[in-house]
This record gives sequence, structure tokens and C-alpha cells, in this order.
Amino acid sequence: MTLLHELATATSPDRVTDRPYDLHLHSGDAGLRRGEATIVVFPESVEEVQAVVRIAADQGMPLVARGAGTGLASGAVPTEGGIVLTLTHMNRILDIDPVNRTAWVEPGVINLDLSRATTEYGLHFAPDPSSQQACTIGGNVANNSGGPHCLSEGSTVNHVLAVEMVTVDGEVITLGSAAPDPIGLDLRGVVVGSEGTLGVVTKALVKLTPDPAEVKTMLCAFPTVEGAAAAVSGIIAAGVVPAALEMMDQGMLIAVENWLHAGFPTEAAAALIAEVHCAPGAAESEVEVIRSVSDEQGATEVRVAQSEEERAIIWKGRKSAFGAIAQTAPNYYLHDTVVPRTKLVETVTELYEIAEAAGLPMMNVFHAGDGNLHPLIAFDVSKPGVYEQVHEAADKMVAACVTRGGVLSGEHGIGAEKRELMGTVFTEVDLDAQARLKEVFDPDRILNPAKILPAGSRCFDYGGAPLPEGTWI
Amino acid sequence: MSAPRQDATISPSPPPTHRPESIDDLATTLREHSDAKEAVAILGGGKHRWMGTPPQVDAVVETRLLSGVRVFEPDDLTVVVGGGTTLADLEAELAEGGKTAVLPETDPDATVGGVVASGASGYRRARYGPTRDRMLEVTAVTGDGRIVRSGGRVVKNVTGYDLPRLYTGSFGSLGVIESVCLKLWPLPESLATVEIDDPERASQAHRPLAILDVSGGTRVMLSGMASAVESEAARLGGTIEDGLKWPQRPQGGLRVEVRLPPEHVPKAVALLKGDYLAQVGVGVIETTLDTTSAVADLRSDVESWGGVVVVAGGHDIDPWGTPPTTLDLQRRVIVEFDPNRILEPGRLPGGL
Repeated sequence: MTLLHELATATSPDRVTDRPYDLHLHSGDAGLRRGEATIVVFPESVEEVQAVVRIAADQGMPLVARGAGTGLASGAVPTEGGIVLTLTHMNRILDIDPVNRTAWVEPGVINLDLSRATTEYGLHFAPDPSSQQACTIGGNVANNSGGPHCLSEGSTVNHVLAVEMVTVDGEVITLGSAAPDPIGLDLRGVVVGSEGTLGVVTKALVKLTPDPAEVKTMLCAFPTVEGAAAAVSGIIAAGVVPAALEMMDQGMLIAVENWLHAGFPTEAAAALIAEVHCAPGAAESEVEVIRSVSDEQGATEVRVAQSEEERAIIWKGRKSAFGAIAQTAPNYYLHDTVVPRTKLVETVTELYEIAEAAGLPMMNVFHAGDGNLHPLIAFDVSKPGVYEQVHEAADKMVAACVTRGGVLSGEHGIGAEKRELMGTVFTEVDLDAQARLKEVFDPDRILNPAKILPAGSRCFDYGGAPLPEGTWI
Repeated sequence: MSAPRQDATISPSPPPTHRPESIDDLATTLREHSDAKEAVAILGGGKHRWMGTPPQVDAVVETRLLSGVRVFEPDDLTVVVGGGTTLADLEAELAEGGKTAVLPETDPDATVGGVVASGASGYRRARYGPTRDRMLEVTAVTGDGRIVRSGGRVVKNVTGYDLPRLYTGSFGSLGVIESVCLKLWPLPESLATVEIDDPERASQAHRPLAILDVSGGTRVMLSGMASAVESEAARLGGTIEDGLKWPQRPQGGLRVEVRLPPEHVPKAVALLKGDYLAQVGVGVIETTLDTTSAVADLRSDVESWGGVVVVAGGHDIDPWGTPPTTLDLQRRVIVEFDPNRILEPGRLPGGL
């Protein structure tokens, strides 16, 4: 029986495809790197996922689970070929529990759809990546996605209480629970963010967050990036942790304004978007703190959104920033790194220098409150040599962050994109420990192979390490 | 994996105690015990020793000298701190920079490493989440003496597998925690404790630090800008006090901690005869019971509601109750970090 037939029997003939168009569509994500899918399957139930995983394991074939493919670090790209398991058909919200403030959802549920469905209970799903209109909860779980509002609410892992997962053996296990602090090892915590390398998550129990009673969204313009960054520190030092605290640099403000015409301050070197979520009647005092700190740091304008429309358009500008780049160049390379917040200004200064030296236009939006940078290089991939140049500049930017005590990724993941850089932040022993964990879940490297850890991570041979069972000495 | 040692017995004299002064020191000590297949207890402040089956050990590693704040830049909202540091020492130093690590409020002598290893959280988790949500980086020494660092010193990170969360609540099985980096929160301008007669009103509080049911009386802990706290307290009504007045946990008898989906808290406290301290909206209840049969009765109800009843170890009842279904997977993870299973063997659920 051919693989196509085998998978069709396990699922349904109309949900297995090896047509070139389908393969092409499922061989990439929103980044630039591409793989080559051998076959694509759209399971509709956990049983079908089990069957497909068993087939992949039997054949020793890579299996790459994916959702909407909005990732940027090629976590969902079949770089080693194999079966692409697209989970977008498993998109049911199974249960909303307004009393415990939780919901069981399938992995294909779109992030924003969940918050829409829980609005009637005054609840929402807090992680809000910019791609939230398209990205799936399964993808959020795989990447431990963030978003502007994780400054006060934390990343996806803080909002996942339990997952149902199909292991590489085709078994279904549940990790975590609706009760707090489940006993035993917190394997749920390590599965979130594991990019589909430890199992295929088929259900998640997510935490829902009460909608704020009062919301104020502000846009503060600064003549220097330093001033904007100092305001971020000042606001937090005053004891206020806004729900979100975002920064856009001038390049980004111009790009967004040209497209949105919403009155973004294009004269400013940087603008902050701050949002506070408060008890009834309490927002004004936090707004005043942000206003006075911004004024102290030389803000040229402090605008408080006066209506829901005005608030929405500020966020539209922020969350659609990357789309607005299309007017600058047909392609962009978006990075995701984090530095300690006090290193923000000096890091950004060096990033501009790197881009300038490479002759590449770069602009920035960042989750300033978290120190999470998103330098974006705009370019035209059809020009020979440019892609390589972009990558070289991007690697230098990562190095600039790592040198300052930063990390490789804050919310996009490592995927294939940054796995070879893991050695810049971890020792061989550190990587070996992570590789051992992967090996426990997936000894034959079936599940999304060649992701997260660089090749050879497990090679580190520590003296005294036990030999595998059955080894002849 | 090698089975936990069955032949070890408590020696007539107390087991030798190591007090490593550095991570290399700690690594050497553990490697030697691993080679000799000798079980080791890990001791910080000793505040969580009541949890789990007490292991039979050949030696004790005390972590108190692995202490002190290593890196604290208040504006970064992070701190790197030695595992042997007491909560009181850490929070005092953080407070000078206007920050808190939101560690358990009523166990000042517990150590950071002990809190992380046992997965303990402060009452303020209703607002800031449990301790595991603040785990940014862990540097630990595995059972066989490897120094493993994971995570990073920034507030948001997906660089590699999230081992810092895995260490949280691992009871030493993955290694001795030498230091951690924690996410901090700014200390709010104002704090207040409101005692309310009507528990229903408490549920209307906006993002309180905690709602506690103290044997039937309700306390709401508020934080924020002074004017906001004042108006929120007035809105809730009741007796208002400045600052946070944490109640004492119930004393006497068998120490018990119930963890269950929050909606079942009222049903569970209705079954309790003695004093209790329940975290409303979180689903954790601290209480004491007189007999193991009372624990078994409570456990059968709580487990049927999807919760667990943790009871002090060393009595004729399993301290954890029904173990998780993924014991084999957990066992296989542990063996990669502690091949000879010398670190607190058998202390975790299911005798792991």
C-alpha cells in the first residue's frame, strides 16, 4: 500500500493530498525558509492523529504538525520532508467554563475566535500575537506565543493549564489539570513551546482572563528612542505595569501612517503605545502616571484614545505594522530577540548601525516593556545576493543582543531559523540536557526533526553516563 | 533506570551533611555520591520536608551557603539569586529596589531553591500567577554532577525547552537548584486588606492580589495606586486595614493541602471540620486533619472533582494520592537527569 493510501485509509481520501499545489502551500510558513512536504494530511479527530503518527513512526518518516503557518522561525516548515499534519480542521471550541474561567479547545481554533466566543462571559484569551486573526491556539502552544499584552499577563504557557497530546507511540496522554499545581513533574510546562518536537497536541485547556472594567490606550511621541525607553522604565518604576507597553520607531511610524492615515506621529523618533486595564474609575490615575513620566522624558505629544474606534486604530497600526512594510519592499525579514530592558537603547543603537553598514533599511516595533525586539529588515528577495546579506546582518543583530545578556527568541521560537545559534547561549552540557529530554519523548526523531536543537546536541558524551539498556560492552 | 534503593536504611547516626560553597563543590559532591549510588537529601530551609514520602538517605546536601543576590537590576524586573537564599533576605533586598518576587508570604525562612523545588507559591498568585510563571532561568547540578543552565535572564524567552518550569515542583529529582533568575513585579503604591462579611462581594474585586476564605471569614487583598485602592476598598465595603494582613496557616494535626478546580472550593471547605485557609478563585486550601482516615475520606471526594489532596508524608497513607497517569514518561525524564536516582529518591508521586 502506498503512503497516500495508507494515510487515506487512516483518515479520509479527501483529506490526504500530494498535489504539487498543496505540497507547496504546506512547505513554508510566514518566514522565508521553505521545505518540501512529501504529503499533507488534515486530521479531524485525535484518533486520526494517532493513526497518522503511528504511520510516520512505522516508516521512520518525519512528521511536522502545523496550524495556520503564521510562524516566522520555520517551526512548521518540513525542512526534512515528510508528512505535514495540518490541524486546522480540528477547530472546535469544546467547552467554555465561565465559573472556572477555562476552555477546552482543539488546536486549530483561531486565537481571536476564542476571545470572540468568550466575550459573552466577560472573558478573553490573554495571549494576543499580532497574527491573532489567523494564528491557531495549537501554534500558540507550540511556540509559547506572546503578544503585546503578555507584559502583564505572561506568555501562552501561563495560560495553558493542560494539554492532551499524542505521543510518538500513538498514545494519548493528558499533561496538567484543571486543578492548580498538578502533582509530579510539570511536563505540560515543557510541552508548551516545544514546537511540535515532543508530541502532537490535540486539545488544550486554556485559562480565560476577565475583561478589564476600564481600558485606556495612549500614544506618546518622543523626540529620541532613549526618551521613549526611559519612559518605559519610569512607568514601571512608579509601580504601574501597563497591560501593554509597545514602542514603534520612526521608520515604522512612517510606514504605518502612509498606509493607515491615522495621525501617527511621523515626526517622532519613537512612539509608545501604552494600555492600562483597571478597576472601574481607576484608569485615570494610571494614565496620569504615564502622562507625567512621558512628559518628564520630553514627550512631544501624549494622546489618550477617546473612543473605542480611536483605540482600535492605534492597535491596528501596531498589529498590522509588518503588513504595512509591503510599500517599502516586497519582502521582509523579521527578527525576534530579547535583551534585559535596561540594555534596550544601546542594543537598538547597534542594530541601526548594523543595518546601515549593510545598506539595508531596518525599522523596529518592539514589546518595550519586555525588552523584546522585533527589528525588521525590508528587502527584495529577487535581487541577487540580498537574501544572504540580510541573513548575515540578522545574525549580527542576534549576536548584539546575546552579548548584552539577551536570548535568541522571546516569542517566535527557534525552529530551524536559529537552531544553529543555540550554541551562542548554551554550553554543550546545557544542550545535551535538552537533547536528552527530546530523546525521552521522541528517540527516533520523528516529530518535527531538525528543529530547536542544533545537530549533534546529544553527542556530548559525559563520563559516567549510563549505556542504553541491552548495550553490549 | 535503576530502581530507587530498597536496601538503604536510616543509619543510627545522622547521615553526613555537606555544605557546598560553590557550584563546582556541589557538582563534585553529587558526582561522588552518584558514583557510590548513595541517596542524598537536599535541604534548604526545611519548610517543605513535610511533602512527599521522606526518602531514606546516606547523606544530606545543605544549600544555605549557595546564597545571595547575584544580579539585581531593578529596571530589568529580574533577579538572579542563589538557591540557598532565604525568602526574607531576598524580598528585603528586592524591596529596596521597589520590587517583589511574589514568593510565599508566610514562610520567610524557606529558601528560594526549596520553594522552586517544591513548586510552592505565594497567596498573591491570584494576581501574579504561581511561582512557575516567574521562573526565567535555572542553574542546577544533575544527580551525576553535570552543571546545566536553562532559560535566560530576560522576562520573556522561548530559547530552547522550558526546563525552568520543569524544575518547579520536581522535588530535586532533576538536580539541585544552585541559582535561579526570577521575574519580578514592582511593589504597588498602596496595599490594603479588606474583611468582608459577604463572600459574594469579594468576587467583584478587580484583579485582587488574593481572596482568602479564612475558616469562613473573607479577606480581600488589594493593590495599586493609592486612590484606586481606596475607592476599590470602599466599593467592596467591610473593615479596611492598610497593608496585607496574611493569616496564619492552620496548625496541629496532619498538614493537608487541597488543590482542586476553583469552583469546587465551597464544596470542599464544607467538608472540613477544623480551621482552614482557602484561596478563592485559585483552588488551594490549607488545613489540618486528625487522622489518615479523614484524609482518605476527603481525598475520595476531592479526586472525584478533579483535584488532589496532599498530606504530610511519613504516615500510613500515600502523601500524594492517586499518581498521575504519565509516571513512565516522568521516570524516563528523571533518569536522564539523575541516572543513579540519588536525589530524594521516591519523594515524588508514584514513588519516583
